[in-house]
Amino acid sequence: MTEQPQISNAKKFTKEVLKGFVIANPVFVLVLGLCPALAVTISIDNALGMSAGVIFVLLGSNIIISLIRKITPQLVRIPIFIVVIATFVTILSLVFEAYFPPLYESLGIYLSLIVVNCIILGRAEAFASKNTVMLSIADAIGIGLGFTAAMLIVSLIREILGTGKLTVFGYTLFSIPVLSEYPLTFFIMPPGAFLVLGLLLALFRWLGVLKNE
Amino acid sequence: MDNNIKNNKNNKDIKNSKSANNKAKFAEKILQNRFYPLVFLTIIVFISVSMVMAVNNITEPVIIAQRDAEIISQAKVIFPDMDDYVPRDEYYEIFSGGEVIGYAFIATGQGYGGEITILVGLNTDFTIKGITIIENTETPGLGTKITESSFTGQFAGLSSGDVSLTKEGGEIDAITGATISSKAVTDAVQKEMEVTIPVIKGDLE
Amino acid sequence: MNSSASLITIFIGMAIINNMILTQFLGLCPFFGVSKKLSNAISMGIAVTFVMLLAATATSVIYNYILVPYEIEFMDIIIYILVIAALVQIVEITIRRTNIILYNALGIYLPLITTNCAVLGIALINATNNYSIAQSMVSALGAGVGFTLVLIIMSGIRERLELGEAPKSLRGLPVAFVTAALLALAFMGFSGLL
Repeated sequence: MTEQPQISNAKKFTKEVLKGFVIANPVFVLVLGLCPALAVTISIDNALGMSAGVIFVLLGSNIIISLIRKITPQLVRIPIFIVVIATFVTILSLVFEAYFPPLYESLGIYLSLIVVNCIILGRAEAFASKNTVMLSIADAIGIGLGFTAAMLIVSLIREILGTGKLTVFGYTLFSIPVLSEYPLTFFIMPPGAFLVLGLLLALFRWLGVLKNE
Repeated sequence: MDNNIKNNKNNKDIKNSKSANNKAKFAEKILQNRFYPLVFLTIIVFISVSMVMAVNNITEPVIIAQRDAEIISQAKVIFPDMDDYVPRDEYYEIFSGGEVIGYAFIATGQGYGGEITILVGLNTDFTIKGITIIENTETPGLGTKITESSFTGQFAGLSSGDVSLTKEGGEIDAITGATISSKAVTDAVQKEMEVTIPVIKGDLE
Repeated sequence: MNSSASLITIFIGMAIINNMILTQFLGLCPFFGVSKKLSNAISMGIAVTFVMLLAATATSVIYNYILVPYEIEFMDIIIYILVIAALVQIVEITIRRTNIILYNALGIYLPLITTNCAVLGIALINATNNYSIAQSMVSALGAGVGFTLVLIIMSGIRERLELGEAPKSLRGLPVAFVTAALLALAFMGFSGLL
């Protein structure tokens, strides 16, 4: 009697994680969370830092909102979600400012803007408020990883093309000879961001994954 | 005998389920109360604010300590011989080999993109030893040129009266295409000099 | 201690040089979702400008008179977002009660605007730049005008694009991004203006 639910719980967990990663990838499929994807992906460091932040907030808010889902009155649920998310974002911002100052400087207002990132409020409303804590954690991990993957892809392209080298946490991983002398700086600038994301979206659609309008 | 035990067990079950029922009804009542949403929201806000303040108490000293460390490392750029310093209310006394070799203080101005933080180093005769731009959010490639020595180097040796843009009669050439950033720096430095130098002189007496 | 930038500088800066959408990537969701019809674009632009102006004023008052004097700047995110959410609610209810026509034209966009990066973004930008209340209002106005301008240009282009025959994968959103890229490139020409 107790074996069966155990197995299906683990299976459910994995399914949720995978869902957020591929089928419902927040950036490429649901086209959510655009602002950070474009603004922050000028370097891998920034992209990773932002992703870590988003995962932290997503996990925190999903857990809390799922915990209180049965005693949250419908009437004020959106303000409640917003307050919970804003709290986690503020905590994140303070921690970064104290312990990761250079990251804090380069992310700037986009760190605070995590609070209006459609992804997080969307998951709270659509999932965490209606599911168990375990599943909400799975959802957060899946969506968070999907977001991270998207940010990594975009920032890899932009940093390599735009600076000719790949530098992570101060260590230059590699540097492409001709490109690093005459980098295509276009890609680190705003137009480059739009272009890369647009072409990636087209690629995903061509691969049959993107939802059509 | 068995019947008694059974009865007791039944009674206990009934009592337990009754109190469980009462608890459920009580909870229902709270949840249905018209003031509940507002109370709940207030409680959540209260908890959130407390948590944020708690985290802030932990991180604030760390952040302040970092700022101090940064100022001192920048001061070393202006005074390479510096080996000690004494922080005063409004400035730092810079020592080398036991002697005062200069003074340093922060000047802030509003540039084009936000606040510009400048560290000003003075010689003992109150002419500028040098300045460095500690923080700025100016336009990359234009306003950010204020951090280059081609701009900051101009300040060396000047007394406060000369610290303004050449087109205003002073000695500093503005950066082309970044007039606002340039003026923000000169104005900030001059103003802070005019405020701080009297204070230093007062302390020396 | 407020910024010494002049009002005109701030306005042109926010509208064109540091354009909300094309340079700062704020306000993208409505930008891509709505900008197909010119009339929708104008309505959205006006709604966003209006909300930005209100929000910027309110948050600037809070920043200058409460957050800074009492040194609780770290509470900014929570306070701003709640104020913005409340403001939008009030605006929506007011419009619905007083002017049904206006509500039908603008009202549907308003809830979208609450979680819009642009509104919170302008509040945070004003705080970062240490703007006074007057400067914040001008900044928001400039940002809104810039936003609307780009929205209008974009909708005009997209109307034409719909008639053309882009490759299947590129149709719709991807080609909109590519167009935005070209627009952003064009706007970059303004960067040395001031």
